[in-house]
Amino acid sequence: MNGRFEEIEHTADIAIRVCGRDLAELFANGAYGMACQLTDPGEVNQAHFDEPSRAVELSIELEAYDAETLLVAWLEELLYLGEREGCVFTDFDVLEVTPARLRAIVRGGPVREYWRHIKAVTFSDLEIVHTGAGYETTVVFDV
Amino acid sequence: MVQKSDFRRVDKYIWELPKSFRDDMRVPARLFGDAELFDAAFRDRTVEQLINTATLPGLVKYAMAMPDFHQGYGFPIGGVAAMRLDTGVISPGGVGYDINCGVRLLGTYLEQEEIAPYLRDLTAALYRACPSGVGGKGRVRVSGRELDALVTQGAKWALKRGLAQPGDLVHTEEGGCLPGADPSKVSARAKERGRPQVGSLGAGNHFIEIDVVDEIYDPQAAEVFGLWKGQVAVQIHCGSRGFGHQVCSDYVKRLQPVVEKYGIQLPDRELVCAPVDSPEGRDYYGAMACAVNYAFVNRQVLVMGVREAFEQVLAGKVKDFGVFQVYGVTHNIAKFEEHEVGGRRMKLCVHRKGATRAFPPGHPGVPEDYRDVGQPVLVPGSMGTASYVLVGAHKAMELTFGSTCHGAGRVMSRRKARKRVRGDELRRELEEQGIIIRAGSMKGLAEEAPAAYKDVSRVVEVVHGVGMARKVARLRPLAVIKG
Repeated sequence: MNGRFEEIEHTADIAIRVCGRDLAELFANGAYGMACQLTDPGEVNQAHFDEPSRAVELSIELEAYDAETLLVAWLEELLYLGEREGCVFTDFDVLEVTPARLRAIVRGGPVREYWRHIKAVTFSDLEIVHTGAGYETTVVFDV
Repeated sequence: MVQKSDFRRVDKYIWELPKSFRDDMRVPARLFGDAELFDAAFRDRTVEQLINTATLPGLVKYAMAMPDFHQGYGFPIGGVAAMRLDTGVISPGGVGYDINCGVRLLGTYLEQEEIAPYLRDLTAALYRACPSGVGGKGRVRVSGRELDALVTQGAKWALKRGLAQPGDLVHTEEGGCLPGADPSKVSARAKERGRPQVGSLGAGNHFIEIDVVDEIYDPQAAEVFGLWKGQVAVQIHCGSRGFGHQVCSDYVKRLQPVVEKYGIQLPDRELVCAPVDSPEGRDYYGAMACAVNYAFVNRQVLVMGVREAFEQVLAGKVKDFGVFQVYGVTHNIAKFEEHEVGGRRMKLCVHRKGATRAFPPGHPGVPEDYRDVGQPVLVPGSMGTASYVLVGAHKAMELTFGSTCHGAGRVMSRRKARKRVRGDELRRELEEQGIIIRAGSMKGLAEEAPAAYKDVSRVVEVVHGVGMARKVARLRPLAVIKG
């Protein structure tokens, strides 16, 4: 895998493979991979630069049953907050993450064009695997 | 790894995998399709997902995939699974996130030639009257209290609010209201997301299409449904928006530890479920029914948007711009229905995920005025290709718990479609064929290219050939609005 994530084949929905040196990076990369399905993150960053007043920064705290459920809850939280604030989040500081708890600060902004809508983050074949280099997982989004 | 040779061809269009194939299968798995469609099942994970579905507790007869099957999450799309109420489970992943995604077919009293001069204006008016796109706000805003009434009463709420005509309800599956809805089982977040979106199309594969009826196969059924060759018709395809997505997400998460509590082993966490007869199962059903009713109202409000657009553009220009509802079907749902199993009538929990109910003539679930011919089944094709109106037939009760296909079914990933097709070129090609296209996103349009889908006619031939449903009419698109 080059970079933070890669899109993999799925007949109907969108699937990405994500990796990270630790859970915090895995979660941040998953969120970035999701943002890249919604829009061009470069455009959001540029908008920040051009119109800092429209930038959105929020802190997130979540608890969940296990690491996979936490990952789904995290990505869903970003989709929900994005829908509420009318923005896409592209920058993620994952301050603390254990399999049951997450704290993060996220930043984003409004976009000119959404490429598509993500209805939900699924548990389909979701398993966070410990590899020699850190963690890896696949996430399937219902679109 | 499952091979084609592991399946037995039971009939020309039925392929069966015995439950001995994998230790955890509780029932055999059945795929419906001709030889080419059967081959396609092995190009993605359809078969694996169908085998996984066959492991769920309390399954009756088979785990099945209708001929428009393709890989989904948890269940394959096109999946049908019926569970016993005493030992079976209900699965939010087996219904899907877009609870009661479905289709309405509206008939008009207009010939294609009559609207030809106004088609572009009509498309623009529809685009304005039926909000679409990501995060699109709906035609109607409701308070928290009104939302609870809306999701409990479904289309009856819309009728009271003047957002429906009585005939619309009669010609909707379940009369537009699934009983058993319990708003106290729906999260505050689902309600918050649902309030502003009533009467909105959304994005993705959702659409509104102006069609012309270009072929009649069954004149008697067509007449009963009010369809005739050359007639202008409208299709609406959408679901329960953020409300339904949130209900499903909430319960897929909430039920993760519950599976362990009831000692259920799952090969895929998306198949998460709870016994039908358990507090958790009942809670999910109560919440799901709310989302089902939300979707009934959502499409109903869009029907009123269609009527408004037709009046706006055509009043004074044509004799009758009226729009009547032929029928409304649902695709993603779990329902309690009575079926015959081994010569005995049994109440079952039937999951349909990307599948349509197809009740035959004489069934009490079919509206009275259609009962002699059967329930209309609406099968939209991919953008720019044909759609079909079918009618439910007896074999569906015998073979598939009264179910059939719901569309063409994808064969190509969105990624491949984007690489092969450019949205703006596709729009130009379709416009050259005389089809007007309005779309929120060119990338989204490319992903929905006809080449990414199976040939809907092939899928319909299988359904017709098996005898699950019979062909009544074919529709050809004149204008398409994509979210």
